[in-house]
Amino acid sequence: MSDKQAHIIYDKDGKSSKDKPWIFRTYAGHTNVRKSNELYRSNLGKGQTGLSIAFDLATQCGYSSNEDIAKPEIGKVGVPINTLDDFAILFDQIAIDDVNTSMTINGTSMWLLSLYVALAEERGIDLAKLQGTTQNDLIKEFLARGTYVFPPDQSIKLIVDMYEYCLRKIPKWNPSNVCSYHLQEAGATPVQELAYSLVTAITVLDAIRERNCFNADEFEQCVGRVSFFVNAGMRFIEEMCKMRAFTELWDEICQQRYGVKNPKYRLFRYGVQVNSLGLTEEQPENNAWRILIEALGVTLSRDARCRALQLPAWNEALSLPRPWDQQWSLRLQQILAYETDLLEYPDLFAGSPVVQSKVEELKAQARDEIQKILDAGGGIEAIKTGYMKSQLVISQAERMAKINTGEQVVVGKNRWADGIASPLVGGNDGGVFKVDPESAAETLHALEDTIAKRDANKVKACLEKLKEDAKAGRNLMEASIACAHARVSTGEWAGTLREVYGEYRPPTGVEGQSLALENAKLQQVRAKVQTFMDQFGHRPRIVVGKPGLDGHSNGAEMISVAARHAGFDVIYFGIRLSAVDIVQSAIEENVDVIGISLLSGSHNEIIAQLMNELEQEGARDAIPVVLGGIIPQGDIPALMAQGIKAVFTPKDYDLMDIMNKVMDIVLEHKAKRG
Amino acid sequence: MSRHPSSPTIAALKNQPLAPDLLQQLQQAAAFKKWPLAKLISLFENRNSDAAQTRHDIARHIQQHPQDFPRDARVIGFTGTPGAGKSSLIAELCRALLQMDANIAIAVLAVDPSSQISGGSILGDRTRMHYGKKEERLFFRSQASNLELGGVSEATFQATRLLRHLFDLIIIETVGIGQSEIDIQFLTDHTFLVMQPLAGDQIQFMKSGIMEVPDSFIVNKCDEEKLARTSYHMLRSSLKQARLVELGALDDYRNAAREQIFLTSALKHLGIDTLAQAVLNIPRRKTAEQCETCYLKKGVQRRYGEFGLRILKNEPDVLTGATTFEEKEFAAQAAIQRHIR
Ligand code: B12
Ligand SMILES: Nc1nc2c(ncn2[C@@H]2O[C@H](COP(=O)(O)OP(=O)(O)OP(=O)(O)O)[C@@H](O)[C@H]2O)c(=O)[nH]1
Ligand SMILES: [Mg+2]
Repeated sequence: MSDKQAHIIYDKDGKSSKDKPWIFRTYAGHTNVRKSNELYRSNLGKGQTGLSIAFDLATQCGYSSNEDIAKPEIGKVGVPINTLDDFAILFDQIAIDDVNTSMTINGTSMWLLSLYVALAEERGIDLAKLQGTTQNDLIKEFLARGTYVFPPDQSIKLIVDMYEYCLRKIPKWNPSNVCSYHLQEAGATPVQELAYSLVTAITVLDAIRERNCFNADEFEQCVGRVSFFVNAGMRFIEEMCKMRAFTELWDEICQQRYGVKNPKYRLFRYGVQVNSLGLTEEQPENNAWRILIEALGVTLSRDARCRALQLPAWNEALSLPRPWDQQWSLRLQQILAYETDLLEYPDLFAGSPVVQSKVEELKAQARDEIQKILDAGGGIEAIKTGYMKSQLVISQAERMAKINTGEQVVVGKNRWADGIASPLVGGNDGGVFKVDPESAAETLHALEDTIAKRDANKVKACLEKLKEDAKAGRNLMEASIACAHARVSTGEWAGTLREVYGEYRPPTGVEGQSLALENAKLQQVRAKVQTFMDQFGHRPRIVVGKPGLDGHSNGAEMISVAARHAGFDVIYFGIRLSAVDIVQSAIEENVDVIGISLLSGSHNEIIAQLMNELEQEGARDAIPVVLGGIIPQGDIPALMAQGIKAVFTPKDYDLMDIMNKVMDIVLEHKAKRG
Repeated sequence: MSRHPSSPTIAALKNQPLAPDLLQQLQQAAAFKKWPLAKLISLFENRNSDAAQTRHDIARHIQQHPQDFPRDARVIGFTGTPGAGKSSLIAELCRALLQMDANIAIAVLAVDPSSQISGGSILGDRTRMHYGKKEERLFFRSQASNLELGGVSEATFQATRLLRHLFDLIIIETVGIGQSEIDIQFLTDHTFLVMQPLAGDQIQFMKSGIMEVPDSFIVNKCDEEKLARTSYHMLRSSLKQARLVELGALDDYRNAAREQIFLTSALKHLGIDTLAQAVLNIPRRKTAEQCETCYLKKGVQRRYGEFGLRILKNEPDVLTGATTFEEKEFAAQAAIQRHIR
């Protein structure tokens, strides 16, 4: 047919047609398995076809709910899973041979997949019918997200084990999902996002190829299984170009590096969660517009449109969203897909010289960065040396400095900050969701029950076998599935492998970093530092601590860099420390102030632990403690009553304002106590 | 940015008994109570002139009560390129030492660079050192190089003055290649140079003259045997070329330790016990006296240049009778002042 029109989409029969919308996703899970199961069933009842499961931090980091480190976290940011019995409840009355289950799980991916497989086996379901995804991208965990469990090499080994197992047994499962989303949240520029996530994909595929467990066809299928999880920020034109660059670079890598012949297996398949880092605590209603604009970046262009989209809510920077907040974001997607004519057109930007030029630039820069990393030994090496991490910290510090100087405008924050108070935060709940702290008891009881009922000898034997296989370097899927059947717990599985593999703390990336910030407030705080030094004979010392399983490191990193810039000696040694670690360091280092950063919602429990630990060391009133992060207004009075000297939240974006306040607290405290 | 005056005039010292609260702190510190110890270290790091009197009091008290301070630490240094794995290795070494010797008490001083611009620093060596539980016999302290041009920070020397009486072993970690590495030998009984395998470190070190400082070489990150073997041969041939050591004909990497070459993997816990054993056998090479004299000279040189040093050399007996470092500093200053006037 000759008279086809450029603005019309034709189907394979030559008839004009319209695209199907992308998948609308809602990330869900909290409190305990029973509550989460209710939530999932209600969502599925409303026509949702897939599940996207959020796990609590203990489950993500490989601890059972009854371990000390897990207790403050039970059910907070996701559902807690200890044994197969929990999984049976979580998926009660849910046809797992039918639904597509996406799990945001990384360090313990193999364990959660094993539980899923064991559940299917107990229900007599054909494994080939299972479909879904385990996120399982450990490189970005070391760089940005923080729920790693094992050292880098072993982490990659487990991923390869899963690819090997899945391709043979559960061909419809995506064993891992390469994430650039979290990199942008940690500060990555578009080029860094492109480069580091593509390096991640290369690292995984190279490791699979090296194991040499697949023939050429199978390996091609394996490449075809790699999907991506990408971010989209406010610079939505550039973001759209980034998606095109991704698509083209991935095709290039698949062909050139892996010789993939079938174009189907070279498709850049991706889901999106739009940027949350830029969402503000100030005038939170503005976030609704931001989310809309960000969604456009990944939907406007047909050639680079996402497969699935997940949106944050207007109250992102306040705390967890309530069901209504999530519904409001879902409506945005529905309006965009169903009320507009977006899905009726072929790609709007094909042939645009502007877009093409921008895409080429991004591609060229990303290629250079990828090559640089590969030349220096590849993705794992760049984790160990801290190269990628320090580059992210540099980018984040640049971003913060630009917001501080006003060079990067954020409406309601550093421009047009005065406004009418938002009625959205007015309700009794302060506009946020709260997990009932009592609900953890149910989880703990269930675990006790299972432990009492299970065959202890069998558990021992299964763990022994797991250990043996790990030592021998064998594929650990079968041994893990046997553990799942035997009602081994999450902590036992991970603990056994920790014994064999050891633990790992990645470089923090902050050492030597500075801030491009020169202003009157900086001079002011440096003068205070000088006063302090003249009087006390040393620089003010601060320990910046991240207690608990919270992996949000941006705040602590920026505070560390800012404190150094102000003239402090800063002791910062990464995430996932215990209250004991932090108090011990504060004491050994004889610091003048302790700065704690907590964003994952367990501040009440953890600050109590910390204060208790200080008390035991006789240092409770001797060292002032300040706190920053996601701290709902309603929690602040109780924290201050426990002895916290000041609380900082995202609205405190001016780093030198913060440093001035911290210095005031230090000087005041010294004046009082000498 | 004005810098902190590093050389205030030294005031005359009084001989007085140690204040009761300080005495208590010192006793607690000797019993490994961490906070009192940490506070005392701060006193030794303190640059203000009034802290000198307190240090003098403490030093005199220790001298006068030797029976209360039976420990007498060896001091060892770990130096080498950033990221060679010094902190990781020290962590593993400490773990091994604490296990091998049920009585040993170890203090670690980790020095990181200060910012040239703000003077502040980020001290990150704890990332590798944290044990997750309280270990009484191990004390870890971070220090900033504090723009101290003279190398291993003055604060490090000061801290060792106290720590040597309270611990059996002091481990100092320094960073970078340059003056600080050369300087570390003034403080230590033994210095280890930590390198990465096949990273061209040796060549870099040879050029900088640093190869002559260390008493032993460690090639860390030898995670595989093959890596250990090749690293050993590479290092050996560099050393031969530089004619720094007389090497015998025997060159089996498994005997490397005999040639003061250690092949370790902090990650895989390889070669750590051999290293630990060697550390336990390190002989004393410097007395506290010698370290003090050396730092005294450095201080004099910084303040008065060659002129001051010459006076010290010509009139060695000005220091006679001075019991503590503070007294020596004061005596030296007084002698030099006489010439200036
Ligand atoms: C970026 C981000 C991430 C990144 C983190 C990257 C990183 N390496 O830091 C990624 C994508 C990895 C991530 C993951 C998760 N996140 Co998140 N994340 C955010 C987000 C969008 C921004 C946080 C941030 O980095 N801001 C920038 C920094 C510079 O600001 P800041 O930390 O607030 O620090 C400033 C002040 O607070 C203060 N401050 C902070 N600390 C300190 C300390 C001291 C001493 C001082 C003086 C001051 C101070 O000064 C800083 C400078 O302005 C927030 C929501 C939001 N907009 O705030 C959610 C948020 C914190 N995340 C949330 C959740 C639930 C998660 C997950 C647990 C989801 C899941 N179920 O898996 C995961 C798991 C992470 C983990 N391991 O803990 C929730 C927490 C909910 C709660 N508290 O109840 C939030 C609030 C989003 C939401 N509304 O649901 N996240
Ligand atoms: N493969 C391997 N990596 C190691 C080994 N020892 C240390 N590393 C890694 O090397 C990196 C740097 O280790 P650190 O111990 O911090 O090195 P450092 O020399 O103290 O570094 P600076 O104090 O920054 O100069 C980290 O990522 C460690 O995990 C080892 O034996 N093998
Ligand atoms: Mg170090």
